[in-house]
Amino acid sequence: MLALKIQSLAVSFKGLSAPALVIEQLSVPAGSRLAITGASGSGKSTFVNLITGLERPSSGRILWGETEIGTLSEGRRDCWRGENIGLIMQDFHLFPGMSALDNILLPARLAGAMSADGRMRAHALLERVGLARPEQRVETMSRGEMQRVAVARALMRKPGIIVADEPTASLDAASGAAVGTLLLELAADESSTLIMISHDARLADRLERRIVLDAGQIVSDSAAPAVRA
Amino acid sequence: MIRFILSDLRRLWAGSLVVVLLVALATGLGVAVTLQERAIRLGSARAADRFDLVIGAAGSETQLVLSSVFLQPSPLPLMPGQILEKLAADPRVAWLAPIGFGDSFSGYPIVGTTTALITNATSGFAEGSLFAAEGDAVVGSAVNLPIGAAVKPVHGTAVESGHTHTEIAYRVTGRLKPTGTAWDRAILVPIQAVWHLHGLGDDGEAHDTKPGTGEGSRHDHAPEPSSAPNEPAHTEEHDHHAGIDPDAPIDETWSDHVPGLPAVLVKPKTIADAYKLRQEYRNGATLGIFPGEVLTNLYATLGDVKQILLAVATGAQVLVAASLMLVTVMHIGQRRRQIGALRAFGAPRLSVFAIVWLELIGLFATGIGAGFAAGYGAARVAANAFTQQSGFVLPVEFIAADARLAAFLGLFAAVLAALPALLAYRQSPAAALRS
Repeated sequence: MLALKIQSLAVSFKGLSAPALVIEQLSVPAGSRLAITGASGSGKSTFVNLITGLERPSSGRILWGETEIGTLSEGRRDCWRGENIGLIMQDFHLFPGMSALDNILLPARLAGAMSADGRMRAHALLERVGLARPEQRVETMSRGEMQRVAVARALMRKPGIIVADEPTASLDAASGAAVGTLLLELAADESSTLIMISHDARLADRLERRIVLDAGQIVSDSAAPAVRA
Repeated sequence: MIRFILSDLRRLWAGSLVVVLLVALATGLGVAVTLQERAIRLGSARAADRFDLVIGAAGSETQLVLSSVFLQPSPLPLMPGQILEKLAADPRVAWLAPIGFGDSFSGYPIVGTTTALITNATSGFAEGSLFAAEGDAVVGSAVNLPIGAAVKPVHGTAVESGHTHTEIAYRVTGRLKPTGTAWDRAILVPIQAVWHLHGLGDDGEAHDTKPGTGEGSRHDHAPEPSSAPNEPAHTEEHDHHAGIDPDAPIDETWSDHVPGLPAVLVKPKTIADAYKLRQEYRNGATLGIFPGEVLTNLYATLGDVKQILLAVATGAQVLVAASLMLVTVMHIGQRRRQIGALRAFGAPRLSVFAIVWLELIGLFATGIGAGFAAGYGAARVAANAFTQQSGFVLPVEFIAADARLAAFLGLFAAVLAALPALLAYRQSPAAALRS
């Protein structure tokens, strides 16, 4: 469980006059659950890339706990991300040809971070997300099942932060709702900080805080209606 | 990681197979050329090993070696028979053996020679024994004739056979052990039989009594023009068939009645003697050669051919390498997202590099291994076919230098595989995921 602090953040891309994202000040307490919405091009993806350390800010500071990730070397950031962030993406990014179990274990294995009880945890997670066949090849699964595998993979290394980038956008309504519920429950179970990018208002409403981005600026930062009520 | 690579290869098996085949083909080509060239060099050197010094009539050195060592049929000029007597009396000569060609039997050359050659220059008898009478014959290990078989000589080379000599059928008395040379396919007969059969030699009465007999006039043993000049006796006697007596004892005391000879194999007593003898018989009328030396000159030419073949093979390899580069770079382009995702999920850059590198080096190494096997196999098949035809063995074998070639190819493959791996290593995961 980690808290996020952002100070004087600005990201601009070459050839664009306006910065892609400017955040003067943002604080996300550890263990809180934050939804980020906004039209496409509003800077959501840039935000995800920055807070996961996939990109460096042009200026400003991004602090996760005590770690300022913008100053870490590329290798250190990969390492930090693997340890601290469970990333779930719209397109799953599972690796075909491998079983659900192997997909879940792959990042830990590649990072050399397989602990003795790793397989047990992977099996437990598969069960937790509702998948009964750990050896099933991922390409033979439905999209809803694939995203469940992706969720289990994100949680494998007990990350302090779960970042979900449009986790339900490519799923039908029912699977989307189920995955949404799963994410909220698991974040609570694992007491991870949850940051979810979503344009799905019903899902966003279930998180206690919502930030709306527009043209790279925070235009609204409020408690979600469901939580307010 | 291995599991990831394996599942990746399984998924892309068709492309992987093509890459392996391409590499195998390019490697196999080079390996086959190298092995085959070496086999010819080694095989012919071994074949020439037993012949220290060959003396023939003045003419082509290469022709003399091809005829005497490799028993390639060709019209050799003849040298005067007295030379044999002179050589036999020479104290520097350990032993010597005249050889005579001209006849064949069902594709096997019949070589007239002496007991000295069979005793000294072969590996001994597998069965049977040396010829004892004029009508006896000894066969090489690759001659498919049983002991006791009758050999009716056909005048002319194995390829363009002429008429059959009806005067004699040699009896096979012995079979030699394999020597790995062209002589394994030869039928060896006493040289006096060859002379008598062709109406040559010291039987004074032979050409006095035989001319005009039906048999003699039917046969035309006129030597080819190239054979004529050095053989005065021959021109006189070519139409005559001497009396040949299959049961006559073998006479290997050389008198000055010996007819013209195409070649004499000489075993000098010392190396110094060898050089002196060669020098002495390198005059206008005769030609002394060391077959090994002549072969070395031939290899120089052969070496050039090998260079050309290797250049062609190298060209093919460069093309393959270039196409592989293209394939792998495109492959990385297609896998950008996958690689980006791996990084995003916390896989270290080094793992990404290792995955791409190992996957490619695995394919390349498999291809190189298969190429070596295929090249070896191809060279063996070609060598066996050659041995069947000519009798002389081409030893197809790897030497230490081939390990160097394999190591070099491996290293090259490692570097080649590192390029796309480096691309994958350097690419930004965020950019890769966006694409």
